[in-house]
Amino acid sequence: MKLLFLIVIYKVVMPVLLRLVGVRIRHKAAYQEQKQFIVVANHNSHVDTMALLASLPIRLLIKTHPVATANYFGKKKWLAFVSNLFVNTVLIRQKDNALQLLEQKLKKGHSLILFPEGTRGKPGEMQAFRSGIGVLLSAFPHIPFIPVWIEGTGKILPKGSFLPVPFEAEVKIGAATLAKGETVEEIVGEVQSAILALRGGE
Amino acid sequence: MQYFKDLTEIQQMILVILGVLVFATTLFWIWKKIKPGPQVDELITRTKSWWVMAGIFTTAAVVHPAISFIAFGLLSFAALREISSISKNARFEDRSIIFWAYLAIPLQYGFAYMGWFVPFMILIPVGMFMLIPFLLVLKGHTQDIARSMSVIPTHLMLTVFSISHLAYLLSLPELPHFNAGGRGLLLFVVFLTEMNDVFQFTWGKLLGRHKIIEKISPNKTWEGFIGGLLSTIAAAYFLRFLTPFSEIQALGSGLLIASMGFVGDIIVSAIKRDFGLKDTGTAIKGHGGILDRIDSLAISAPFFFYYVYLICYL
Repeated sequence: MKLLFLIVIYKVVMPVLLRLVGVRIRHKAAYQEQKQFIVVANHNSHVDTMALLASLPIRLLIKTHPVATANYFGKKKWLAFVSNLFVNTVLIRQKDNALQLLEQKLKKGHSLILFPEGTRGKPGEMQAFRSGIGVLLSAFPHIPFIPVWIEGTGKILPKGSFLPVPFEAEVKIGAATLAKGETVEEIVGEVQSAILALRGGE
Repeated sequence: MQYFKDLTEIQQMILVILGVLVFATTLFWIWKKIKPGPQVDELITRTKSWWVMAGIFTTAAVVHPAISFIAFGLLSFAALREISSISKNARFEDRSIIFWAYLAIPLQYGFAYMGWFVPFMILIPVGMFMLIPFLLVLKGHTQDIARSMSVIPTHLMLTVFSISHLAYLLSLPELPHFNAGGRGLLLFVVFLTEMNDVFQFTWGKLLGRHKIIEKISPNKTWEGFIGGLLSTIAAAYFLRFLTPFSEIQALGSGLLIASMGFVGDIIVSAIKRDFGLKDTGTAIKGHGGILDRIDSLAISAPFFFYYVYLICYL
């Protein structure tokens, strides 16, 4: 049932809406032959999550969870329910054991969509990454990360606004990469530079 | 030949367009076989997008009129989205005002579809030119407000007001002894404007020596402009079966389309230069952005429309 919801939303409705609003998704082929991964992207708008889910092939849709903060999406019961049903999220609280839930999902063979900035910042600006992504990738060294650079969505629907306005935006999906760094900090830096590398390139 | 004459004007025109495209495609294909290179590759990608555009325009011109209005409305929408996205003159706080600007599109095309001429004429140059500054004032950010006041309505003029005149051609009342109708006029102005670009490009490549306005558009030459002008006037003369014009009026329409097409072209070039871009986007392959393709039409379409209106409907 939930799969059906997700397919209708992200394979039928969302592609049309995103197209209309002006979001272009490039290099979807990056998902080919990948079974499990962590998508990491910069974050400016709720549109980012929609676009990333819409970029996934159907076979991966049900097993890929955007990571969201419970401080925002868990505030009201109905909001948590809706975001689970329509966005397939895992909600985490920013505490010591926050990553436990994510590790459970990864152990089950599921994939994650993670915004390491932790929040949508100001449009066009990338903030420092939190360390969670480094912890996860060092605990699961066989799972690759897929870097994604997103540009322009902060103008479509910025933080604090509820009125989407069409503007051209671009979602560039990079190649799946296994983290090489030894320490958590090294891995975080690696992920961050992989995302920034997509910024200027084709 | 007899068979060609038995077809309706619209069918004849579609055959002409098809002929030009087949000719261009074969020519570049042979050219590539003999002398491959990046220049011919670019011409080939350009021809591919001409096929797509010709397909869209001819389908829009021959199917149910309502579909044409929606197609042109979407074209205006995509062009407005493109120019609002690349413009550095509108401010971030203007996003909600730009949302209102988009609402002018269904209204404008609605008026065109219903054939409500006066609302159609004044919605943008009078209505939106007043409404948008007023909404900006209500928002209250005064820093650079005058710039936003002028830029947002101007974007609407370039992308919505202009292109909607193509759609209104389809709503013009029928004239006695003129069979091709609004569809004929539509094919006429779009085909000639696009061909004028091609003629200017070709004559400029063949003979171009003297630059017209090097600072804006370094590839534009007097030879290209005049060659294009004369070729377009000749084409207008031979295609006058699509219009209710006399021979002289047809020659005049060719002159108008070619010169106004040129004006539209350099206006958009100048805007791009201001934004520091070569092409305005990447929506149509090999052609830069949507705005790059409709630049000449943005000016030639309304001028041609009022030319027809003054001659035949006044």
